[in-house]
Amino acid sequence: MAHSIVRFEHATFGFSGVIALKDVTLEITSGEFVGVIGPNGSGKTTLCKAILGLMRPLAGTLQIFDCSCEKLQCYHRAKIGYLPQKGTIDRNFPITVLETVMMGRYGVLGLLKRPRKADRDIALETLSHVGMLDHRHDALGQLSGGQQQRVFIARALAQQPQVLLLDEPTTGIDIVTQHSVLDLIKRLHQDLGLTIVLITHDINMIRLHVDRLVLLKTKLYAAGPPADVLKPDILSQVYGKDLVITDKDVVIVEDYHHHA
Amino acid sequence: MLELLSYDFMQRSLLAAALVGALCSVIGVFVVLRGLAFVGAGTAHAAFAGVALAYLIGFPPLPLAILFGLATVWVTGIMEEQGRMKLDVSIGILYTATMALAILFIGLMKTYNAEVYGYLFGSVLSVTSDELDIILALSCLVLGIIVLFSKELYFIAFDQEMAEASGVPARRMYYLLLTLIALTMVVSLKTVGAILVFAMVLIPASTAYQLTHSLSHMTAYAVVIGTASAVGGVLLSYVWDVPTGPAIVLLATAIFFGSVLFSPKRLRRMTA
Repeated sequence: MAHSIVRFEHATFGFSGVIALKDVTLEITSGEFVGVIGPNGSGKTTLCKAILGLMRPLAGTLQIFDCSCEKLQCYHRAKIGYLPQKGTIDRNFPITVLETVMMGRYGVLGLLKRPRKADRDIALETLSHVGMLDHRHDALGQLSGGQQQRVFIARALAQQPQVLLLDEPTTGIDIVTQHSVLDLIKRLHQDLGLTIVLITHDINMIRLHVDRLVLLKTKLYAAGPPADVLKPDILSQVYGKDLVITDKDVVIVEDYHHHA
Repeated sequence: MLELLSYDFMQRSLLAAALVGALCSVIGVFVVLRGLAFVGAGTAHAAFAGVALAYLIGFPPLPLAILFGLATVWVTGIMEEQGRMKLDVSIGILYTATMALAILFIGLMKTYNAEVYGYLFGSVLSVTSDELDIILALSCLVLGIIVLFSKELYFIAFDQEMAEASGVPARRMYYLLLTLIALTMVVSLKTVGAILVFAMVLIPASTAYQLTHSLSHMTAYAVVIGTASAVGGVLLSYVWDVPTGPAIVLLATAIFFGSVLFSPKRLRRMTA
């Protein structure tokens, strides 16, 4: 029986007087694969911070697992595996792949507890899930962007989370690697039964893989199966009429940010 | 050389130098990785202002040094967190303000007090056994706390936002780290002095940074390099009759440049 992982009810989020997301009502249940789409600045990352309990609603309510987000504790957060938007990591930062993945255990273990062999075994297992076991003693900074992304996914998995929250996991890596990362995420969804919330601006990349799409632009425009959300009239409200071309099954939303 | 070790003062200075060298290099790992170098320097000068005030009003120097050091790091941390000011700006202001206070306090003293200057430039050869006890106690306290919270401290040094998102109380750990930096500065004031302590925090950790791509190895190398240059510096200063603080720092600097030249990371970049 699927239970509720996150439930937004008329929730509004913002900071320093700017509303980033308004009146969102949305429930994500266990075992779902949800894609969150929308143009830049549409509140995708805000939604992500909210799910992590790092941002409280200014109005409305947000329930994370069985807990209202105001009361969220560290151990709740440890049940959400999070892959942040790929920033530039310092290539010289002295950390090995295994040391990076072990950090996924730290929040779960809690204060004053030392990582033991069992934790190391979990880290090694997640590394083998993402196909990076052979690189465990390598320097993180020496890996390619796609390999680093796999390591960060392994770190999120090492938390043994109920949900995997991925913020633009395929941005900034080449197209072949994008597909292999997406395949990996799909496999984790199927094999481990993980709930996946994947945030992206690349609609075509994920439309065939997700159970449900959530379309944002400072408010929730649509949520439902891809076929119901990816309709020209809905998309053109968000992206503007000229930018949306639909041809049979292919949706083209021109990435106007790159032209700006 | 060996008869040197039979002098009480020499045993005390070597032990003090080894402790301070080890402590500074461990905290230095987090300072270097988290980019808090300037905070270290600022705190050392703030603690020195505390010492100057203590001598002015006839108070024991340690509590006031701790008070000034902690006040500085916490104010800096709060200002950064509230987004009012960048860390380097607020610490820059507090750094110079506390130094101005220190000069003011010294100026207000009726008589010249050489002991105060000992805290500015360090005087490890004149460490008393009472002072050594304090150094020992505080070093054990700080190192003990670092060991207890090492996994959280490493995590926030690597990525504080990620640490918070994955269930580590990152904010509290950050303040703990700032507190430990301040305490380390206070412990080291007497031995290496407010000006040179900064070098003891930065150099061993930066040297180790050049040599490895593993967090645990970096920490181990830093401790070995820090302790060795502190002890080596004391011995050199005695043998060549030069001031101890500069001897320690220059020895550490020499090791640093050696590590830059022979850094496996640099060599790999050149061959790549």
